[in-house]
Amino acid sequence: MTANHLDASQFTANQHFTADIVIIGSGAGGGIAAEQLTNAGFNVLLLEEGAYYRSNDFVMEERWAYPNLYQEGAARKTQDKSIGILQGRTVGGSTTVNWTTSIRTPPSTLDYWHSEFGLNFTGENDLAPFFQHAEQRLSIQPWPVPPNANNAKLQQGCEALGWQYTVINRNVNGCANLGYCGMGCPINAKQSMLVSTIPTALSNGARLISRLSVRKLLWQDHQVTGLEAVPVDAHFQPRSDIKVTIAATHYIVAGGAIGSAALLLRSAVPNPSGRLGKHTYLHPTVISGALFADDINGHSGAPQSIYSDQFVWPRDNNVAGYKLEVPPIHPVLMATKLIGTGEAHAALMAQLNKLQVCIALQRDGFHPESQGGTVLLDAQQQPVLDYPITDYMWQGMRQALLSMAELQFAAGAKQVLPIHHDAKLYSSLPEAKAAIEQLPMVKLRQTVVSAHVMGGCNMSVNANNGVVKQNGRHHQLQNLSVFDGSILPTSLGANPQLTIFALIWRNCQLLIKELM
Amino acid sequence: MDRRQFIFRGLALGISASLGITGWQYYASESDSNRDWVLSALLPALLYGALPKDTTLAQHELARTQTAITDFMPYLPVSQQQELADLFALLANRISQLALSGHITALPQLSVNQRLALLASWRDSYLLVLQQAYHGLRELLYGAYYGQPEHWLPITYTAPKFC
Ligand SMILES: Cc1cc2nc3c(=O)[nH]c(=O)nc-3n(C[C@H](O)[C@H](O)[C@H](O)COP(=O)(O)OP(=O)(O)OC[C@H]3O[C@@H](n4cnc5c(N)ncnc54)[C@H](O)[C@@H]3O)c2cc1C
Repeated sequence: MTANHLDASQFTANQHFTADIVIIGSGAGGGIAAEQLTNAGFNVLLLEEGAYYRSNDFVMEERWAYPNLYQEGAARKTQDKSIGILQGRTVGGSTTVNWTTSIRTPPSTLDYWHSEFGLNFTGENDLAPFFQHAEQRLSIQPWPVPPNANNAKLQQGCEALGWQYTVINRNVNGCANLGYCGMGCPINAKQSMLVSTIPTALSNGARLISRLSVRKLLWQDHQVTGLEAVPVDAHFQPRSDIKVTIAATHYIVAGGAIGSAALLLRSAVPNPSGRLGKHTYLHPTVISGALFADDINGHSGAPQSIYSDQFVWPRDNNVAGYKLEVPPIHPVLMATKLIGTGEAHAALMAQLNKLQVCIALQRDGFHPESQGGTVLLDAQQQPVLDYPITDYMWQGMRQALLSMAELQFAAGAKQVLPIHHDAKLYSSLPEAKAAIEQLPMVKLRQTVVSAHVMGGCNMSVNANNGVVKQNGRHHQLQNLSVFDGSILPTSLGANPQLTIFALIWRNCQLLIKELM
Repeated sequence: MDRRQFIFRGLALGISASLGITGWQYYASESDSNRDWVLSALLPALLYGALPKDTTLAQHELARTQTAITDFMPYLPVSQQQELADLFALLANRISQLALSGHITALPQLSVNQRLALLASWRDSYLLVLQQAYHGLRELLYGAYYGQPEHWLPITYTAPKFC
């Protein structure tokens, strides 16, 4: 047990704490905020509903990692069960389990925010210095090692077709190229919040309370006056026997998209724009498998080192854009996604090491027919995301399956398997194309997943059009900020962590000036 | 009956017996028994082709998977746990009804293909809840099975080891 850390599941009686600033959630947003604010001398209390696991706990097994490090045991689904959602729930949040891809916010995304939400990130609001700060702080650099075969096939396919691709920047220091980022880095190479900003914040005097779920903010007359929280049990379910109350001068909500909106909904905070919990984005993702003659061993090596932006920004906005990447290939992740049952499924699993997998992440939130999902609360007051998929989005996904099949064959695949429950292994591009054109694009036939949850508490200049201001401060409650991925007004068209690091770094500097 | 079919039947009978299930005298009451009953009906079929040919080894793998499923479920949100309990009750009931109506014979007599056809009929059902059942159970069951290092031999997967 580290000094300054309390495990709320050990509490035997009600507790009360006070601080200058309380931060709810210890992921990308909360982690950056904890370091910035303690550097500035504030007394910070950092709250996290997940546990404080460290590298020694990370045994590189999915059966341990998913229940212990992910929201809902990595089995989170949208309300109609049509989209599977991966999100971290542990100290360090999703940064503890993410795949280390670090990309600056695409300029076109910032332009869109300017035109739709009045958000100006140019001139004195430029994010560039904050990208630089974050890149330096977290050792974000182009990955110098050759890509593993899974990523190399993505690169080779792009080369063969003349498609754009980029070598990925990663937040790692001393990476041994193991490939287990998604189960927690066992050697502290990944510069997640767990090993970077949070240890600094703790040594600066911050206190961390883990296994504590914040249930409600109390507020009155434009001010948050306190918060109520409860310990979680061994399975991370909120308990009802002990209550923790906290009073602070300023409150920072950083529970991540879905989590932050849920907390604010439970607290029934003012919501005149009606946008709280709405416009939650996922980068809805479709998957294409391919069998190669040579070994791919997609479980080994940096999970993501190449991406392609060939299709992210189509000229015609009536076509949904998508980014091409690859996921790590581990048994549970694959077994649950590969289609079929019985011998057919077993036969695919037996070829796991020959399997190459591409993913296409759709850039949602930039079209009237792509307005994201809505966070609802269930009977236990826990969040559920209702995310309808429109025809416009389905067509984009079909297009993405076609692109991925084309790429995989161009890279030398023997057979391609779109992850759709009516698909099968196809042995040529014409065969795959003809089949994909006919696949029914409907929920629960077409597999859709997400590891990028964004929005739900969107920033906007105008209070009619968002939950927080450009600096992350709540439009109505004066001593409340939202500092995480939930403030993004659309998805990004790029992996979110670096955008969140930079935005929150900037917002912290603004907040420090205002509070000093 | 070919040899594989014979082995499967032995396996299915074994797991039913180990759960105290002997036939269709089944009354959906308690949620754990619903769960165990549905799993015992589906797991051997879903994992057909993945399970080792040796019946004893296969029994061990099935038991390990069943334990992994029960260990995992409490991590799901309470609302999802309730949905799953309802689902297991519904499926237990549905399988019983199919048997009672003569659509299928007693559970231990069901072939792999009949069980897989039953699963496929849920996947293709017009009822959303059955479609969700198909996908939810597939993920839960395959996740539990392939999470166990003891089951990785046929897929030649090993995690790196270092001190
Ligand atoms: C498997 C995976 C791979 C990914 N790969 C990449 C990648 O390669 N590159 C990239 O850029 N992005 C990646 N992401 C996404 C990226 O990690 C997230 O977008 C980012 O971490 C979000 O930051 P956040 O602060 O909004 O939330 P999070 O980092 O998710 O942190 C939120 C934290 O708040 C806690 N919390 C929520 N509610 C409460 C409450 N009521 N009380 C107490 N605590 C609470 C949660 O438990 C969680 O730990 C990946 C995500 C996953 C899951």
